[in-house]
Amino acid sequence: MGQHGHGDKGRPFKKFKPSNKFEDSSKRGFDDDDVYGGDDAHDEDDGKVKDFSKLELKPDHLNRPLWACGNGRIFLETFSPLYKQAYDFLIAIAEPVCRPESMHEYNLTPHSLYAAVSVGLETETIISVLNKLSKTKLPKEMISFIHDSTANYGKVKLVLKKNRYFIESPFPEVLKTLLKDEVISRARITSEGTNGDGFTISKAAGEIEGRHDELLNEAEVAAAAEEKETHAFEINPSQVENVKQRCLPNALNYPMLEEYDFRNDTVNPDLDMELKPQAQPRPYQEKSLSKMFGNGRARSGIIVLPCGAGKSLVGVSAASRIKKSCLCLATNAVSVDQWAFQFKLWSTIREENICRFTSDSKERFRGNARVVVTTYNMVAFGGKRSEESEKIIEEIRNREWGLLLMDEVHVVPAHMFRKVISITKSHCKLGLTATLVREDERITDLNFLIGPKLYEANWLDLVKGGFIANVQCAEVWCPMTREFFAEYLKKENSKKRQALYVMNPNKFRACEFLINYHERARGDKIIVFADNLFALTEYAMKLRKPMIYGATSHVERTKILQAFKTSKDVNTVFLSKVGDNSIDIPEANVIIQISSHAGSRRQEAQRLGRILRAKGKLQDRMAGGKEEYNAFFYSLVSTDTQEMYYSTKRQQFLIDQGYSFKVITSLPPPDEGPRLSYHHLDDQLALLSKVLSAGDDAVGLEQLEEDTDEIALRHARRSQGSMSAMSGAKGMVYMEYSTGKGKAPVKSKPKDPSKRHHLFRKRFG
Amino acid sequence: MVNAIKGVFISCDIPMAQYIINMNASVPASDKFIIHILDSTHMFVQPQVEQMIRSQIAKFREDNTYVKPN
Repeated sequence: MGQHGHGDKGRPFKKFKPSNKFEDSSKRGFDDDDVYGGDDAHDEDDGKVKDFSKLELKPDHLNRPLWACGNGRIFLETFSPLYKQAYDFLIAIAEPVCRPESMHEYNLTPHSLYAAVSVGLETETIISVLNKLSKTKLPKEMISFIHDSTANYGKVKLVLKKNRYFIESPFPEVLKTLLKDEVISRARITSEGTNGDGFTISKAAGEIEGRHDELLNEAEVAAAAEEKETHAFEINPSQVENVKQRCLPNALNYPMLEEYDFRNDTVNPDLDMELKPQAQPRPYQEKSLSKMFGNGRARSGIIVLPCGAGKSLVGVSAASRIKKSCLCLATNAVSVDQWAFQFKLWSTIREENICRFTSDSKERFRGNARVVVTTYNMVAFGGKRSEESEKIIEEIRNREWGLLLMDEVHVVPAHMFRKVISITKSHCKLGLTATLVREDERITDLNFLIGPKLYEANWLDLVKGGFIANVQCAEVWCPMTREFFAEYLKKENSKKRQALYVMNPNKFRACEFLINYHERARGDKIIVFADNLFALTEYAMKLRKPMIYGATSHVERTKILQAFKTSKDVNTVFLSKVGDNSIDIPEANVIIQISSHAGSRRQEAQRLGRILRAKGKLQDRMAGGKEEYNAFFYSLVSTDTQEMYYSTKRQQFLIDQGYSFKVITSLPPPDEGPRLSYHHLDDQLALLSKVLSAGDDAVGLEQLEEDTDEIALRHARRSQGSMSAMSGAKGMVYMEYSTGKGKAPVKSKPKDPSKRHHLFRKRFG
Repeated sequence: MVNAIKGVFISCDIPMAQYIINMNASVPASDKFIIHILDSTHMFVQPQVEQMIRSQIAKFREDNTYVKPN
């Protein structure tokens, strides 16, 4: 009956939408059928794409753990008995989108499939296993998508031989296809000794013979010799990255295989190092390593583990398996020391075989295989170096590295990566990170700069296993006081807004209350984070707690941290942005965030990482143990201000990892009254006038050098449009290469050194 | 002699009251709409501005809310 009639009834009402009253009455007045009609209209927008109700369920679907949808999305039930196996498989072939407790969402992408094939999964295996696990028959679109994305994989190889890069393939036609591409043909270096096609046929070359046999054995193919001929051409080392990018699935779709057959590498000297027996990799560390060394060779790629889950052990294990020269890159001098320490702690490497190369300590190395630990800046630095470091850099440049180990790959700006990678020649690259997100969306660049993502751990599983702390996350809502909000709204105070919502007396009181509670009632160790220097000093002075920020000297930092670690009287320390990554404080188990750097998801995750290192006894931490939560993460937010926006945005990454934020609205409790500061209006007004009289520059963010993510953020905040366009990623990067004449638009990359006037380039590099 | 003025009585929280007061302050004198501020959470305004206040506040709240892009 009704469809027609409902339509007639429904439409006229919709036209009246602008008025609220009519909308209300229309909602209340109609029966269910009409609501259904409304839904129908809505479906036209996005419902159709996501409607998979027609997929055929298998009869035994209850026993199978996942739903595979035609748009490439896969949903996994974590309560299924097959969860563990299904998870291991999915994480290898698909990108995790969101992983809450009971249901995970994954996305099949060309990149993720590329990663899957590179860890040794074959197209047919992927399809058949997926089909086995899926509750529904695999949609045709998905099957053909998998075929398309993986068909060309492994046909082309990038090989480093005697400091020269070659592109190899058993199929000359494939190489010809590649050479039709402008970028690749320009990168080619033509040399003598080539045959008619212009390719070097390397079957006869003695040195490679061993490698060949190995290949044959491994594949157990008794193919005729002529089929195994490898055709190759040499490319310019500085163009390697561009060539790799052109070969990715979204361009020519011949992703290059980069494997290092380190056991048969007789050219580079071996390094004498083994893992110490007490270094027992945990199951997930073992798994990530097995992805890297799957077929006895080392693959390049990225391993993603949460902070505190033991990334350094993975790095050291990888280095001691390859046993060749290893260049380890860290973000700053402190972590260089930590890495050097980790190498000595976990492996049997001799003291003299580890060199640190920072601006403070330049340990020379010569001759044999070594582990060299240095910072990205030291290698990428383009300005004038001292004679000493110039010599070391020359040494780094001329060496063939077995492993390039890169820590915290998410923070390093892409152009710095490019520089590092063009300077150093390595057989295998391993990137380590906890948070593969960046605000400038440049994370996809890592696919061709380093390699595919080899492994990503599930945070909640590690929490359940007791490997990292179980953190209670909370967002504390602090209403603005009347006077502060009035000033906040005034146009002339637009530059002071941040200072106003950070210094909100209600927030201060909530912070003071939390510090008191955790110090006295629980005996916890607390870190308070504030990006805003003005707020940091005000809070720390008022509460009489020590603080560390960019300008704090190394000696003082060490003193404060030492006191925090050992003294019973120092239980709270205030940190600015400097504490996000580099400062290692394993004792802390409470974080209070009073102000934060706009909307950086990475910063939020890194800060949480400060307290993730597991504490206490294992059995207490396991599910059902004595303490449900043993770490606390509070984010204090002034309601009705911009802070609400940033705060929600920042939490997205952690929410995607399955964390949930509890909202607390009643802090401090009303009975605390005068026991906390700023109880009286006079005090609040005095604070307000202090904030207002401070200079604009004094109340801003602390500026640390080389924080390009932040620069990207500032761009993104002003424009509502595409973030990647603003930061010059995606299309822009492509433009640079395709126009070729250096006419690429420069507007959004003021800090890119290559765009600088040549007079300045010398100075800043 | 009793004077009656028709108006809208607004009851809200402290920050929103400040927001409305600020809105009132930013318009030219002829468009001022607050008739009387009763206390920090209540006020009396001209009847015709109700929708305007509602939509302004809705927009303000919208600006402070992050929606995850899909």
